[in-house]
Amino acid sequence: MNRRLVIILSLATLLLYAWPMLGWFSTLGREPATFATYAPSTPVVDDKPFMVEEFINADPEKGMVHAGSICQLPDGRLMAAWYGGTREGAKDVAIFLSVKGPGHLARWSKPKRVVDRISASRELYRYIKKVGNPVIFAGSGDQLWLVYVTISAGGWSGSSLNAKVSSDAGATWNNSRRLTLSPFFNISELVRNKPLPLNSGGFALPIYHECLGYFPEILWIQSGREGGAIAFRKSRMTGGQSFIQPSIVAYGPSLATAFYRCRSDEKAVGVAVTKDAGVSWSEPQTLDLPNPDSAVDGILLTDHSILLAFNDSVQNRENLRLAVSNDGGANWVRIATLDSTQGQKYSYPYLIRSQDGLIHLVYTWHRKRIKHVVFNEAWINAQMKRIAK
Amino acid sequence: MMQLGFSFIFPFLLIMALLQGGAGLFGTLCGWRPTLIFVLIAAFIVIIPVGGLPLARWMISFNANFSISLTAILFCKVLENSFGVKLLDKNAFLTCWVFSLIAGVILYPMALGLGRFDPYQAGWGFSWLFVVMCGVTILLLIMKNRFAVVLIAGILAHNLHLLESTNLWDYLVDPFMVLISCIALGSRFLRKLGSRP
Repeated sequence: MNRRLVIILSLATLLLYAWPMLGWFSTLGREPATFATYAPSTPVVDDKPFMVEEFINADPEKGMVHAGSICQLPDGRLMAAWYGGTREGAKDVAIFLSVKGPGHLARWSKPKRVVDRISASRELYRYIKKVGNPVIFAGSGDQLWLVYVTISAGGWSGSSLNAKVSSDAGATWNNSRRLTLSPFFNISELVRNKPLPLNSGGFALPIYHECLGYFPEILWIQSGREGGAIAFRKSRMTGGQSFIQPSIVAYGPSLATAFYRCRSDEKAVGVAVTKDAGVSWSEPQTLDLPNPDSAVDGILLTDHSILLAFNDSVQNRENLRLAVSNDGGANWVRIATLDSTQGQKYSYPYLIRSQDGLIHLVYTWHRKRIKHVVFNEAWINAQMKRIAK
Repeated sequence: MMQLGFSFIFPFLLIMALLQGGAGLFGTLCGWRPTLIFVLIAAFIVIIPVGGLPLARWMISFNANFSISLTAILFCKVLENSFGVKLLDKNAFLTCWVFSLIAGVILYPMALGLGRFDPYQAGWGFSWLFVVMCGVTILLLIMKNRFAVVLIAGILAHNLHLLESTNLWDYLVDPFMVLISCIALGSRFLRKLGSRP
């Protein structure tokens, strides 16, 4: 290399690195990512205790379903997503969608297959062995997101994440996009819990890593203008091997608490706090609530107390309970047992609040059906009063 | 579309290298004619549909982001086997092995969960990683080390989004590159050890 070539290549290097730097500088003026907290309002349906239980899918003669998620569409309808097939990880497992409403008296529609390994393989243009864990959520306008897991080799630790976007509330979907989130063959990244909307228009989607380490992360994801290219990055909540499947409850633009599924011998729900909108998280602690290595989900109530759905056991998933904390998670009152049967499994709770103030919970019931429970805050208060007596 | 086309490059180069290696067992096959034949065979192999997917995409199914460093090393080897042209000298190769090993040691243990800090995060947007890599590249250029050209190819590919990944780390290093670097540096160390009186 002569001197002139060195100078030319050095200038080229500076220019090439200036390009991403310019992109970075152009975003400096924008506000940092903050949680667009859904300010829970007084329920508008009615103030009488209200609680309804129903199943979303018909009881399959064979096979299983798991990992339900739910969101509300702009027109008020509800949409649920889950995966099902002959057995977990089988090649016939597909992701299904069902729609209900508007109105809680309406019935859930017949499940519609939205992704299976064949369609995922076609859209991602690669071999896909199996699909799983879908999380569905609504963006601005009629935009709808489906983030789901695919596996090309091995078990769940071989998972990668993919995003699929609809611009017409789920009538049609764009092709899936693979999200590269790990430098190690892009494996061991999974999703389970609901995202937090951000003021920037994007989402903070809780994800987790399970391979050599087991730890919670956040996927910061946003689509371009008019549903254009997806931009994303991830950040780590904590390292180690103890906590996964974060469920994040935001109190304000920068304040949030995360509840973790616990894999360690402590067998208690993990908790961490952020004061800077998810940039950093406190060291995880454990709550006085048991956790049999199973998913939990929380939601903020109008009085800023937290409602948590969890398996109240250190051994199994034979029950699903609701608990409320009025002090940011330090103390909990068990308010209701939604299901409890010896030898059965109730798992993967997923909570949302609809625009009418109702709280919707979906969870896996006996690994056979996705159960949908709807209640209002008056019902929660009634349960609290009953317990207090 | 450019990204899809680029995903065929690494499998193509790998098959070229394997063909050249196989043919090398029967004598050196250098020059335009054998290279053209190998190019045609390799191009045919990567697009052969197996189970509905081109063979190249099967490789991509299990690792979608072969780093630019690994692709460049493979390209140099194929070019050397084809025409005897050495784009990278021994010094550049040694720098490449050392760089990849250091990058791998920094990146993988922490990215896989060792501690709270994840250096992989620095590969998105603009961060200290970009500043460090810009400095390293210019330093290598000043030292007239040809590995600098590979690093320039890496940032160029990143800006053009030639890989599926949007993270700069994936353009610089991959697990195969680290493994090859370990083997290369290990064998070099053993050779030096064996050559001592």
